[in-house]
Amino acid sequence: MAALNRGRAGGEVSPPNPWDPLVRFSHWFLAAAIVANALLNKEGGTWHIWIGWAAIAVLAIRIIWGVVGPYEARFSAFPPSLRAARRHVGALFWGRAQEYPSHNPAGALMVYALWGLMAVTLATGLVMTGAKGPMTIASEKAAVAAGDWSVLVKESDGHDGEHDDDDEIAEEIHEAASNLILFLALLHLGGVLIESKLLRRNLIRPMLWRRNT
Amino acid sequence: MTTPRPTARSRHQPALLAGFMLAQGVAAIFFIADAVDDLMAAPPGLHVLAEALVAAVLVVGIGVVGWQLRLTLEEMRRQEQALDTARGDFLRVVEEQFTTWDLTPAEKDVGLMALKGADVAEIAEARGAAQGTVRAQLTRIYAKAGVSGRAQFAAWFVEDLLD
Ligand code: HEM
Ligand code: HEM
Repeated sequence: MAALNRGRAGGEVSPPNPWDPLVRFSHWFLAAAIVANALLNKEGGTWHIWIGWAAIAVLAIRIIWGVVGPYEARFSAFPPSLRAARRHVGALFWGRAQEYPSHNPAGALMVYALWGLMAVTLATGLVMTGAKGPMTIASEKAAVAAGDWSVLVKESDGHDGEHDDDDEIAEEIHEAASNLILFLALLHLGGVLIESKLLRRNLIRPMLWRRNT
Repeated sequence: MTTPRPTARSRHQPALLAGFMLAQGVAAIFFIADAVDDLMAAPPGLHVLAEALVAAVLVVGIGVVGWQLRLTLEEMRRQEQALDTARGDFLRVVEEQFTTWDLTPAEKDVGLMALKGADVAEIAEARGAAQGTVRAQLTRIYAKAGVSGRAQFAAWFVEDLLD
């Protein structure tokens, strides 16, 4: 089935150009959400939580798309394999870079790591907020701002000491995973640039828009 | 030919569908969150039921749009492949005919560009040759093909397609 994907040079294998719109939109939405939440408004305010919940939805749709989507978007097109990744990096090193029908094996490992860490960040965010929806949180905040502190009382009633410890742990994990995502995203960007140079092909453009012909 | 070029509308359709799908997903998750909050705060009433219904409809909608998106992407791929095949077939026919006419490699190159509609100046520039050289090559190509000029030369290949 890989042969379905014919490169511009004709007949040879290469990733789709452009990637299907769901892959593209979910990629840039998630990247923007991470930058927004990890760098711009990291206090966990209302915006942080709205963006976080939206990211949950987008990530979930991308995961489902990874099972039912078109060939190159499916996980089966880029299975995680340490061996294949090592082989690919070795080939790059020796100047024998090769094209794949979807993400290359090294890129695939990075993609799974990023998705996994996103899931951890989102889940721990939910734990910290008791999985309360952003509307509830916003209205609680509004109530507190208006001088009605009863929501806070109710909150601390339900919290014994153990629970606060859990929140503390969740917060630590939330922050660590989020920082790790930022770090890996830099590596990811570096990998994309290096691969573009070695394959003499702009990898970023198929992720942005369709080619002009 | 049976493979029409994708129109502008159909080329943008997948992007619209994907955008709509993600927007529905975001809307659905807020509804679900709110419905769950309300369920936990109070026993299920009509309000919660309505919310849950809206959330369910949104989720089904995502599935329908996603299905539509996949079909559209597959259809576009089929069209592109058919176009590729047609293009490849046509090039093969041209190449074979050029060989039958005994064109030299340089003449084949010039002939193909002429078929694509490039004028003498453009062909000369692309090949880094003098315009006089290109003009002489074209004259030789037309002579070998037994046609009177460029229009008849192009028509020679189109004729077969219009049968
Ligand atoms: C796009 C994914 C997300 C990223 C990258 C992210 C990142 C962060 C970062 C860097 C912090 C600061 C941690 C610190 O300095 O202590 C933070 C705090 C917080 N996040 Fe997120 N977050 C994300 C999603 C979420 C979600 C989905 C929720 C909840 C539904 C959430 C709730 C919170 C809360 C409540 C805090 C404040 C923790 C505190 O200091 O008490 N986050 N987040
Ligand atoms: C927080 C930031 C980022 C995250 C979390 C991230 C994550 C991801 C993920 C999960 C994929 C797989 C996409 C899929 O199959 O759905 C991917 C692919 C890709 N990303 Fe990113 N990304 C980030 C930033 C960037 C940036 C800044 C660029 C470039 C300017 C970029 C360029 C690409 C490219 C070109 C691909 C496709 C690689 C290929 O051809 O196989 N990403 N990224």
